[in-house]
Amino acid sequence: MTKILDLDLIGIDSTNSANIKPTENIVLRMDKKYPTADYFHYLLVSDNVNSMDGKTDLFIVDPFQRKDILKRKAKRGLGIEISITSTKKLDGTMVGRWIKEVKSIYQFCKSNNCQFILSSGANSVNEMISARTFESILKFMGISPNNYWEEFSEWLDSKYKARWTYVKP
Amino acid sequence: MLNHREKRRYLAVMYEGDIFFQPNQMHEKIVSRFKELFGFLHAELAFLKLYDSELDSILFIGCKLKYLDDLLVSLSMTQPSLTVVSLSGTLKKLRKNVARLNIGNIKNNAN
Repeated sequence: MTKILDLDLIGIDSTNSANIKPTENIVLRMDKKYPTADYFHYLLVSDNVNSMDGKTDLFIVDPFQRKDILKRKAKRGLGIEISITSTKKLDGTMVGRWIKEVKSIYQFCKSNNCQFILSSGANSVNEMISARTFESILKFMGISPNNYWEEFSEWLDSKYKARWTYVKP
Repeated sequence: MLNHREKRRYLAVMYEGDIFFQPNQMHEKIVSRFKELFGFLHAELAFLKLYDSELDSILFIGCKLKYLDDLLVSLSMTQPSLTVVSLSGTLKKLRKNVARLNIGNIKNNAN
């Protein structure tokens, strides 16, 4: 499916990893480090500001929630993820507000050296979004898709590098 | 005056098979979401048109190239979930692309 959607890699929740073989194009999303982390690339994900610590790689943000706590907690290199799936149930006016909030989060990420990440938030294959669609959404929000993919790849590389460089022999 | 035909793009859109919708019902949902997000004027100008895909849970939709990005944005924000699995400049090529994808297998894996 990743090939069809033109995606180089996808993030999968670690709880769904039982039937998956470790491959280059899969990144596991975990709330803490599980044994499967030895076989896969992984990211530590949190959606709760209180459970966030220095090891957290990715923080899931609801664009409508208050951002002052995020501003206090966000550290350089933190990935801030926004999921598109919530917009499916919003009416046109709220989608407009959602886009406005996402733009402000993007600006926040830029000024605080955080990585802005747009995700499908998919729970099934049917909810996945193609790379071309991601680019249309980014363009719509005034974000250059080329810069976005470039920065995203660099950020992911830096996460992998940190893990493999300092791993004990 | 030159008889200039505007370029169009054709999309193959996959939707959830367990929710039963007729293709024209899905098309209506897509058009109404497009109108909600981009307005009636853009929806008319985009010339969104439904084509027969001859496949279950797959829609073929055509639109003017100029409005392709708007259509992709509205598809990603439509309920039930829709996934664009192929995009082409001609319907003939789109059918070929979709035939190669083996959609049945994808659905079985998804379930």
